[in-house]
Amino acid sequence: MPIDLTLIARALIFPGFIFLLALALFFDWFERKVAARMQNRMGPTYTGPLGILQPVADYIKLLTKEDVIPRQVNKLLFTLTPVLAFSLFVFAMFYIPIDGSNVILNSSFEGDLILVIVLITIANFALFLSGWSSTNPYSGIGATRILTQFLGYDIPVIILALCPAFLAKSLSFVAIAAKQAIPFALLIPWSFALFIITLQAELEKDPFDIPHAETEIVGGYETEFSGRKLAFIKLSEDFQFLIGAALVTELFLGGPFGPVLFGPKEMWGAIWFVAKTLGVIFILEYIGNVSARLRIDQVVHSNWKILIPLAILSLALTITCEPLLRSIVS
Amino acid sequence: MLHFNTGACNGCDIEVVALLTPRYDVERFGVLLQPSPRHADVLMVTGPVTKQCAPRLRVIYQQMPSPKFVVAIGACACSGGVFRDCYGVYKRLDEVIPVDVYVPGCPPKPEAILQGVIKLLEKLKA
Repeated sequence: MPIDLTLIARALIFPGFIFLLALALFFDWFERKVAARMQNRMGPTYTGPLGILQPVADYIKLLTKEDVIPRQVNKLLFTLTPVLAFSLFVFAMFYIPIDGSNVILNSSFEGDLILVIVLITIANFALFLSGWSSTNPYSGIGATRILTQFLGYDIPVIILALCPAFLAKSLSFVAIAAKQAIPFALLIPWSFALFIITLQAELEKDPFDIPHAETEIVGGYETEFSGRKLAFIKLSEDFQFLIGAALVTELFLGGPFGPVLFGPKEMWGAIWFVAKTLGVIFILEYIGNVSARLRIDQVVHSNWKILIPLAILSLALTITCEPLLRSIVS
Repeated sequence: MLHFNTGACNGCDIEVVALLTPRYDVERFGVLLQPSPRHADVLMVTGPVTKQCAPRLRVIYQQMPSPKFVVAIGACACSGGVFRDCYGVYKRLDEVIPVDVYVPGCPPKPEAILQGVIKLLEKLKA
């Protein structure tokens, strides 16, 4: 069997692993810079131009540090889960079209939206296990908080992801993104707003950053990790952030499809994708910085009593308005 | 960076916290306050080391993954300050754990603490 070089190049370099890694680090920097500017600070400044290499430097530092394994921990889970969570997030990212098609060409199928949501869920469980295996009271509390919060936000996320899927009559990312001549964010703004809010919970940002509330439970589930394992946990958080923003981009903002000004179509796909995700990250970070943390019981209450009914309502509204919306589009 | 108070009067602590505020913002240099000793590279100790606190300080120092560095902040941590020769405190921080940089002052200015961090970076290069 001949080895397909384009496949390897796509999986490893663009838009595969290296591109995604660079994108995740760039978004990490962007996030820190936005947070700093909103708090009237400078943010990273001196590492590279405008401090853009700061996340890279941080990860290299973490990779070279001592890797402490406390005596009491479950060694298998403690070493396995950070890598597992990271690889699951990367795997999920491979199904999101970045330059107009998936990372591995023609691997998109009807239902990859559900596959990506399942992968994110399993990765969250891996993060939970990482906290649970480290036998630290703070990690234990952080881990149980991940699960408690997860009970609240996962159902609204799925219901709200169904709204654009229903409008596009498809469960595959490429089809949903390609159907959006007018972005769904304008057609169904109610689902878009709700999706952004539930995404804050999924990404553990304020007002839902309870699983690693520094002022209450030290580092949450990642308290006991150091060195390479901490690097993997931090990287998987960055990738989770990237996937969250990419989900919004694909489902509500038309993903990589946009006006092609000049040159090859694939290049503009990637440019539109990055530009739109940057916009989404700015919105997410803005909400995170202007709001304060809720208590865990308030989160569960608000999720079950407000978000789930609202999500069902918005799905019903989307289905009811569908003929009207269809006439606007055409 | 992890901040640990071994029994200080809170003067130095406030100067350390001032480093994180918009006026000084140590994140410019990539320095962040970390919640857990496992995530930290630099331990900033303020205050005289009381006999009760010393074992806990040692545990926290041992929990940090190497390479690790210690900055002694304030006169008390450097030399005991006004509490020198008290029955309940160690004379200096380096009787308990190895110290890399001393920042004297009562309390030291945030600029002085920044200077100490830069000294530490220079020491790393050499």
